[in-house]
Amino acid sequence: MAQSTETVPAGAAMRSAGLPVARLRELSALASRAFPIVVVAALILMVALVALRSGGTTAAAEVRNGLTIGAVYALIAVGYTMVYGIIELINFAHGDVFTLSAFYALIFSQHLGFDISGLGASGAGGFFAALIILLVLTMAAAGLTGMLIERVAYRRLRNSPRLAPLITAVGVSFIIEGFLFATQGATNVRTGKANWLLGEAVKVGGVSISWRDIFVFFSALVFMFLLQSFVRFTRLGKAMRATAQDRDAALLSGVNINRTISATFFIGSALAAAGGIIYSVKDDLIVWNLGFRFGIIAFTCAVLGGIGNLVGAGLGAFLIGLIQVFGGQLIGSAWDNAIIFAMLIIVLVFRPVGLLGLRVPDRA
Amino acid sequence: MPDAEVAHADAPDIPAVPEDVPLPATASATAREESSAVFWALVVGGLVFVVAGWLLPWFVEQTANGIGFSPQDVVSSAPTGIGTVLVYVIGAAMVVLLAGVAYDAYCTLTRRGVPFRYSRTRAAVALVGAVGTVVVCVLVVSREEPLFGSLSPLATGSPDNAVWMTLTGFTVLTFVYGLRDWVSAHGQVAFAGIVFLIGALFPLIFGQSQSFIVWGASAAAIYTLLALGLNVVVGFAGLLDLGYAAFFAIGAYTCGSLSSSVHGLHFPFWIVLFIGLAVAALFGAALGAPTLRLRGDYLAIVTLGFGEIIPDAANNNLFGATGGPEGITGIDHPSIFGFNFGIDARPYFWALLVIIAVVILLLRNIQRSRLGRAWAAIREDEIAAAATGVNPVSTKLLAFAIGASVSGFAGAFFGAELGSVTPDSFQFAVSVTVLSTVVLGGIGNNTGVVAGGILVSFIIFWMLAHLQEWLGTFGNKFGLPTLGTIDYSRWVYIVYGAILVGIMLLRPAGLLPSRARKVELQSGTESESLAAVQGRA
Amino acid sequence: MTVSEPLTSGGPKTATGPPILELVGVTKRFGGLLAVNDVTFSVQKGAIISMIGPNGAGKTTAFNMVTGIYTPSGGDVRFNGQSIVGLPPHRIAKLGITRTFQNIRLFAYVTAVDNVMVGEHCKMRQNVFQSMFTTPGARREERAVENRAMDMLRGLGLERYADTYARNLPYGLQRRLEIARALASGPELLLLDEPAAGLNPQEKVELMGVIAQLREKGLTIFLIEHDMRVVMGISDRIVVLDHGEVIAEGLPVEVRNNARVIEAYLGTGAAGQSEPAPPAST
Repeated sequence: MAQSTETVPAGAAMRSAGLPVARLRELSALASRAFPIVVVAALILMVALVALRSGGTTAAAEVRNGLTIGAVYALIAVGYTMVYGIIELINFAHGDVFTLSAFYALIFSQHLGFDISGLGASGAGGFFAALIILLVLTMAAAGLTGMLIERVAYRRLRNSPRLAPLITAVGVSFIIEGFLFATQGATNVRTGKANWLLGEAVKVGGVSISWRDIFVFFSALVFMFLLQSFVRFTRLGKAMRATAQDRDAALLSGVNINRTISATFFIGSALAAAGGIIYSVKDDLIVWNLGFRFGIIAFTCAVLGGIGNLVGAGLGAFLIGLIQVFGGQLIGSAWDNAIIFAMLIIVLVFRPVGLLGLRVPDRA
Repeated sequence: MPDAEVAHADAPDIPAVPEDVPLPATASATAREESSAVFWALVVGGLVFVVAGWLLPWFVEQTANGIGFSPQDVVSSAPTGIGTVLVYVIGAAMVVLLAGVAYDAYCTLTRRGVPFRYSRTRAAVALVGAVGTVVVCVLVVSREEPLFGSLSPLATGSPDNAVWMTLTGFTVLTFVYGLRDWVSAHGQVAFAGIVFLIGALFPLIFGQSQSFIVWGASAAAIYTLLALGLNVVVGFAGLLDLGYAAFFAIGAYTCGSLSSSVHGLHFPFWIVLFIGLAVAALFGAALGAPTLRLRGDYLAIVTLGFGEIIPDAANNNLFGATGGPEGITGIDHPSIFGFNFGIDARPYFWALLVIIAVVILLLRNIQRSRLGRAWAAIREDEIAAAATGVNPVSTKLLAFAIGASVSGFAGAFFGAELGSVTPDSFQFAVSVTVLSTVVLGGIGNNTGVVAGGILVSFIIFWMLAHLQEWLGTFGNKFGLPTLGTIDYSRWVYIVYGAILVGIMLLRPAGLLPSRARKVELQSGTESESLAAVQGRA
Repeated sequence: MTVSEPLTSGGPKTATGPPILELVGVTKRFGGLLAVNDVTFSVQKGAIISMIGPNGAGKTTAFNMVTGIYTPSGGDVRFNGQSIVGLPPHRIAKLGITRTFQNIRLFAYVTAVDNVMVGEHCKMRQNVFQSMFTTPGARREERAVENRAMDMLRGLGLERYADTYARNLPYGLQRRLEIARALASGPELLLLDEPAAGLNPQEKVELMGVIAQLREKGLTIFLIEHDMRVVMGISDRIVVLDHGEVIAEGLPVEVRNNARVIEAYLGTGAAGQSEPAPPAST
């Protein structure tokens, strides 16, 4: 921000120019810096209010709920943030890839006879084997779907005016949703994982944490960690970061841009698939337009954390998860959507770069 | 202001460009090209009407054995007299027309000049066709029984519809083809004239016996009005609004609150329309002000979210004013000068036609003014526009607010027309329908948008809804009965998605493109937004 | 005529009064990169000042800070004594500073005359409602603006192209059109970013004539340019930037012989040589 060596005359001159521009800039800089603190403080306040109103156990239970739903959001949000970072496009179809993968998982488990009821902590080996196979298959299928979408719908429009790829993305989203609607109908579908991971793992301060909750939360962390390592330490990961920062320089350094972008879509979609499976374990019900809602929410998480920033996406997701459940406790869960939308507006107004974002303008 | 005449002694004069350098294409030349695209659109439209009308009884009307009526059945069922005579006259005239088209094509291909009398013949044919249509219309309206007989007690419609369609198509063709040169030069005017004329007449034909057709046309008109408003945001200013239905809802609920039994307020209809407009505009401004400073993508997601929470809020009975899932009922119907619209479909449709015409005129005026140029400037190159003195945020905000106000206006009208508003009517599907209309018809082009509105309404509300029936009849005829078992109406979302993706990949500027936007959208030149350059995300 | 001689009849018309533009300690950082570092100089009203320097010296960044596209990380920019730091670009244009761009940024699918009319946007008065209903006042204003735009085109030899889309114009004419657009709002200070790039020698001579004529009308011109013949031929003063810092400033003949300038362009070792031969005349 402007740190004029002669602030007093500058400010005075601008005020005499009839504008409160200087004040506005100062205030917005201040708001931007205070934002992370305000968010954390607000969250703590909400937790405290819930604890006061409904007791500490409820509050703790909601923390658990917020973190588990946040885990699902995180896996979807990284896909959004990666794609936006690399081609500056909001991939509206991403949320629908999430839903689609849940259906892929359903189909795979049906065909491979994975309807293993009652597999709790016992028979863990068999369970994990089944899970790994399912994950691999579904993630691959979703990854390929994502790559296909990029190849067919987005690649040609990479250099077009902003409007074209955005409209196409909405169109692809609708095609996927339409396909699910036409084949699966308008009602919820059971994913057959209701009996996976039954049983309580541990009780913390009166709050029951089931194996399922642990599974959901830690899977998300594991995947995020793997992703971050991948992006940090592998060649492809470096290529992705380079392309995101400066495409032309990356091109000149020998990076194959098309392959890098395809890989980004593959990885993003695969993670969304992981999210889909985790969600099916958690909630067991999926519906054709699930991805629509989750997509907006996940994107809000990505924006909150700082678009283009992987760690930020995860952080934003857990924060939004917590805000959603605590907000729901305070003003009713029918207002979930409104709360998240309000978060989006607040972030965009006060700190569009997000909590961890550092967008540096290009030299024009 | 520097004026041209003073020259400094030391400085060379600025030479004018030599006369023999050829001038590049001018804007008016491209405008003429746009018009001729409209010409072909009208020709295709007319042909479709002719063919569809001819085949309509075949597909639509079910007989006892599940196979439709053939055109022969239709003709032979007409009572002898005026009906039959007219059918044969019109048939003859169509043959003459087709011969003329063939002759014209032949002349073009062999590069022969067209004899002078020929173009006069064309104009005469156009006149005959027009007169004939008017006569038929008058007869159909004035007679109690159908002019062309009824097919059987089982038939759900009457041949009058089919013949009317064929006739309309034929008239359009003769007119357009007969006055080809004028239509090619003034495509937009011709299109507007034809659409409004047909629009004005057809409720007279169908209004009494089959008012559901007029209600359907009313719905199409509302969507067209919405599309005109969205076109301001997407087409003129280049912003993507994915929650357009929210403003529609705001207008409708405003109307519901102000002129129904809910609060006991009964504001006059016309005032409510403008209040709905104003409230929607305010919401638009409030939503746009923080978001339009940022990149366009963020506006898309914010409007998407807004489009979600507005029906949500209505469903949750916000402030107790929106009536929850049942919405608001008992909204007053409009009345002008004591004439209450009631539940007759026709006044609504005619009112909408007038409103659409006025809106198009006002929008065109804006396009040719300071604001319209500003919109073009920020669309082309936001940074250069800012450096030239155009305020990007306020310019975009005006577009957004104007778009919102048209939507609010339409919403208020819709509320009064339907008599009740529920959250169900304002879901995301509505926003996507309107967006598909704009994209399909032609981003930035009012004529295109109207064409898109007609086409999308046609496809989605008529074709898709009846496709199962028709393919069933078709399948029965050709031994493929399974065609009739699939519920095609569930494909509606796929159709929308396919329209959006297909158009963007194949013909981004839409069916009736504004030529400038066409090249712009296809050329692949992306210009950065000011916010992006300044790092404001 | 040899183009190594100045076309103008000498120094700035008015050497008194506050400078029209002042950069005071202006600095710009992009993350870790210091693009412009503590630049200070001023431009007198009615003068023609050129900014030169090797590629990447920070010249366009300095322009962008004057026109409000970037905000300085430090320092102040003053226009007629008033600080303009933090003002958005459209306000700065309205105050009287307009510019052209290095890689011509016309509104491509807008006609030439409309391009120029956009230039008058900030001076026009009509609001949305007046435009919508084409009130007599609005119509009068439109006509007046259009006439002025046509006069502007005529003055630059472009009136035959009034109805042509800007993208269809030949390159040299596009440069002229961009200048016409920048002049439409009646600015006091005109910034030209490499106006001679891509022009043939004939067109460069015409350009210099245009610039001289503009100064006659009372405009102050501040340009970035690489072509030394144009720079030497037309400037009253020259500012030299290298690696974001001012390394020389003064009259053309002073700058031409400045050791640091020669070193910046030709590298170390060249500075020790005697005065370089004057550029060959075309």
